[in-house]
Amino acid sequence: MPFLLAETVTAAPDVEEWMLWAILLSPLIAWGLIVLYFRKLPAIAGYLAIAGVGAACVMSFVAFFATVDADGAILQHTHEWFTAGPLTVNLGVRLDGLTAVMLVVVTTVSLLVQVYSNGYMAGDPGYGRYFAHMCLFTTSMLGLVLADNLFMLFIFWELVGLSSYLLIGFWFHKPSAAAAAKKAFIVTRIGDLGLLAALLLVWTRADTFDIAAIQEWAASGSPEGYIVTLFALGIFAGAAGKSAQFPLHVWLPDAMEGPTPVSALIHAATMVAAGVYLVARFFPVFEASHDAAQTVAWIGAITAIVAATIALVQTDFKRVLAYSTVSQLGYMMLALGAFGYVAAIFHLFTHAFFKALLFLGSGSVNHSTNTFDMRKMGGLRKHMPITFWTFVIGSLSLSGIFPLAGFWSKDEILLDAWRENRGLWVCAFVVAFLTAFYMFRAIFLTFFGTYKGGEPVDHHDEDSHFHGDPAHPHESPWVMTAPLLILAVPAIAAGWLNISGGPIDSWFADLLNGALPHVHEHGSAFEWGIALSSSAVALAGIGLAWVIYYKRWVTSKSIRDVALPVSVVFENKYFLDRLYEDFFVRTVLQRGWNRLLELNDKYVVDGAVNGAGTSARWVSGQLRAIQNGQMQTYGIGIAAGVVIVVVAVFAANPL
Amino acid sequence: MDGIDIVGPQVAVLGGAGLILLVDALFPQQRKLLPYIALVALAASALWTTSWVSRDEYGAAFDGTLMLDKYAVFFYYLFAGITATVVLASIDWVDREGRGQGEYYALVLTTCSGLMFLSASRDLITIFVSLELSSIPQYILAGWGKDQRSSEAGLKYLLLGAVASSLLLYGMALLYGFSGSTLLPEIATAIRDGGEANRSLLILASVLLIAGFGFKMAIVPFQMWVPDVYQGAPTPVAAFLSVGSKAAAFAVITRVFMEGLAPKFLSDDWSMIFAVIAAVSMTVGNVMAIVQTDIKRMLGYSSVAQAGTFLIGLAAISAGGADEFTLGASGVLLFLAAYAFTNLGAFIAIIAISQKLGSDQIKDYAGMWRRSPLLTLALGICLVSLTGIPPTVGFWGKMYIFNAGIHADLAWLVVIGVLNSVVSGYYYLSVARQMFLGDPESEEPVGASPALMLALTAATAGVLVFGVIPMPLIDAARDAVATLAIG
Repeated sequence: MPFLLAETVTAAPDVEEWMLWAILLSPLIAWGLIVLYFRKLPAIAGYLAIAGVGAACVMSFVAFFATVDADGAILQHTHEWFTAGPLTVNLGVRLDGLTAVMLVVVTTVSLLVQVYSNGYMAGDPGYGRYFAHMCLFTTSMLGLVLADNLFMLFIFWELVGLSSYLLIGFWFHKPSAAAAAKKAFIVTRIGDLGLLAALLLVWTRADTFDIAAIQEWAASGSPEGYIVTLFALGIFAGAAGKSAQFPLHVWLPDAMEGPTPVSALIHAATMVAAGVYLVARFFPVFEASHDAAQTVAWIGAITAIVAATIALVQTDFKRVLAYSTVSQLGYMMLALGAFGYVAAIFHLFTHAFFKALLFLGSGSVNHSTNTFDMRKMGGLRKHMPITFWTFVIGSLSLSGIFPLAGFWSKDEILLDAWRENRGLWVCAFVVAFLTAFYMFRAIFLTFFGTYKGGEPVDHHDEDSHFHGDPAHPHESPWVMTAPLLILAVPAIAAGWLNISGGPIDSWFADLLNGALPHVHEHGSAFEWGIALSSSAVALAGIGLAWVIYYKRWVTSKSIRDVALPVSVVFENKYFLDRLYEDFFVRTVLQRGWNRLLELNDKYVVDGAVNGAGTSARWVSGQLRAIQNGQMQTYGIGIAAGVVIVVVAVFAANPL
Repeated sequence: MDGIDIVGPQVAVLGGAGLILLVDALFPQQRKLLPYIALVALAASALWTTSWVSRDEYGAAFDGTLMLDKYAVFFYYLFAGITATVVLASIDWVDREGRGQGEYYALVLTTCSGLMFLSASRDLITIFVSLELSSIPQYILAGWGKDQRSSEAGLKYLLLGAVASSLLLYGMALLYGFSGSTLLPEIATAIRDGGEANRSLLILASVLLIAGFGFKMAIVPFQMWVPDVYQGAPTPVAAFLSVGSKAAAFAVITRVFMEGLAPKFLSDDWSMIFAVIAAVSMTVGNVMAIVQTDIKRMLGYSSVAQAGTFLIGLAAISAGGADEFTLGASGVLLFLAAYAFTNLGAFIAIIAISQKLGSDQIKDYAGMWRRSPLLTLALGICLVSLTGIPPTVGFWGKMYIFNAGIHADLAWLVVIGVLNSVVSGYYYLSVARQMFLGDPESEEPVGASPALMLALTAATAGVLVFGVIPMPLIDAARDAVATLAIG
């Protein structure tokens, strides 16, 4: 019934236009104020950032509820910015179900992360700079989801890349952080080339950047099929870069070099979700091209499995979460490729909360132990009860245990995969098992057993702002635990928003479907078989982790020895980093570049040196030197240029 | 419009030049006033142009050799603005140099009058004379500095300029020989009537014209003088060359090819020549710019690359009907204005910084952010604009030209242009990175004189204001091009 309503009732959400712009501008204003006036005043900078994002958050909720009232219908305000012949570039905002959900996710997580950062980053010399970058990042994300045309979207897309570069490399004096920032920037840029190509393609073919118009153009059947497929693949390439899809996922684990709240914000909830958002935004285009949708689904499946298997063998707490994020993003892409638009965004929504919770939890652990190495932890359950319990809630949710948020969203993805392609379903099913296993492996290693002392504080390290005593771990201050407790609520309950036949029916699905021009009904959204089998496999994963890492009936070492080749592949991350760095970067790029430089030295620089020699002779007042030196070369160059051009014209187009 | 009114803007400028020489000779102790006389003369010139606009008086003059249309007016304003900025940027340098102050400003103003004539000329002889009127003072200005590098730059520019002029003259002679007229509209008529049989001659003439103007535009393969002269010439003069004479060359070549050589059988050929030269210029300019360590040399190569981007607009002119014609040509005008703001801003910041450092090496710019936040910010904005990143005017310039290319079915060229933009980002932004993140050798602040700051603020404000609100500039460029008569 609500579907029918969404199709017939076209009343747009009752939101004033200024408010949408204000959502975008309030963190931007905070950014400007911090950069101009408060960079050196940490006390003010932090609260200013919280105020800016807080205001955006409140307004986002207002917009969200208005959109819910309108069943997710589309509200668009467009202003002409630039015209050049048939092309018009607009400056506009668009609010619909998808945008509203993203607004709420981005601003809520961002707000909580900023509050948390007030504690986590206290005393860091770059405190003001940190909050400025955070505000810029939030603005870019909000612009990305509010943009009503591909052109604006692309600008904000690049801004997201830039601000995340600044945040990952925040501790830029740390070589590993600087390298990670560069890697993230370059790898995502490779994907962005695809997005740029897609942009050029609609520019030449459709002469519009408007999202609604592009959706219509793709679905109308007027462009040739391969054009739509190319466009969709370009979009997906951009999405794959930002959302860390195989084979462009390699930047995300390294990006954990940034401050942990940054990881929670960008690498769990927002930036990596931008790719999923982008594919969802252009979902009708993928519906028009099944080839592209198949590519999305299988790349997603490969990503999910590859990342989950690597997560099995990580010893760094945060990297387990990083690979888990990559794997879950693969899950979302798999869902999109299987035409599970609602399922994918629903999972994005629940995942944002529980993954942010997990990241902030890992930061809390680090705050107390000064390390992310799980081999140096253990037994923290007693010392950090709030962190422990909230972390367990997040992990159960991620593993898909009834009735937590992750259960419901994961279930929908499995259902959509089952309907579309059994192969996809098998992949998703295996990943569900692996996910439960590696999460509880991390929990047993970190919070159970005996404490192994953490990482001693290096007092000679001036950059370290660690204040506690790792030998005696303690619970984190309330500014850090409060966001954990708050995030635990949606990690438990966010899934209840979309239970068909549940207390509030499936209004979440209706909300999202309101953003689409056409809705394809999938039928019932719950099946006992899928739900029971996925729960069983998750429990099996947890049980196996319990056997190996808690009871230690089997040691992990013996398993490693049995499956040695496989473990080696996992531990080396499928050798992809090696392939990229040793082969592409060192061999192909650097050698090629060196060769180019050699040629340049030989012909160009030597030429310039000869020129300098000419000048020297000129100084001695010999005009002849000029005549015999470069001047003649230049003159010959001009004459030769004329001859070449004339010959070329006649050769290309004989009379 | 008759009598002195026809050449009013130029008379104002040249009158200013004469007055400067007189004041310099009669009241040597009042030399401080000279640049301000120049500014007043330029303001008077712009006012005169404005009075035409307000009277809505346009038309041909002097038997059709000058065409005073909106196209010319656009460039009159542009050249007055460029010259005023160059005068402001020169004050410190000329003061320090000490000698021949009157002559310096008089030569700058004379150049300006030549540039204005160029943009209005519709006759081959007038074009040639105007070109020489603007060039000869520039040869002198390029060699103005006391050091040998500057003298070498001046001489190189002069000799190679003479080669280019002779090629241009040869091309003009061929056109005259074919059509029996030097007026563009009459040449166009002759080509329409009997040109197809003489295509080879016309192509040769076109190539020679491209070579002659290409020297000033700094396109490959006529660009070799650029880095040497930019590096050797006094920096304000290099700034003048990079925006003034380049803009005039594009103004005149657009008019000549549009009004004189537009028939399809011919335009297909020169459009392809422009397209190929555009691709080569962008690539060569950017690849060479990457390895430069001297910032003026780098800007020299970058100006070659930018000239290649302009050429996309020219290549797009011939491709189709009136729509594409206006799109390509107005793209050239828009980008010229955008480039003028941006490059002037960059050069002024460099003038201020190198006056203090005594060096043009990029590595010496490290940590400039801590020594001079304002200069660094302005230079940073200009570098962003040169790369073509929003919200700067350089972005819209590129965007507009690329759009013209796409609608002229030159998508391959646009792809090359976009890739080149990415490459150019590497060296532009690595200068910015040095300035913002590098460690300074000393913490000593770097300042700038009020005149420099004024010029810099004006240029940077133009970059940002038209970056956010581009439509007024676009409308002006479009109106200007709409008045060209398609030959």
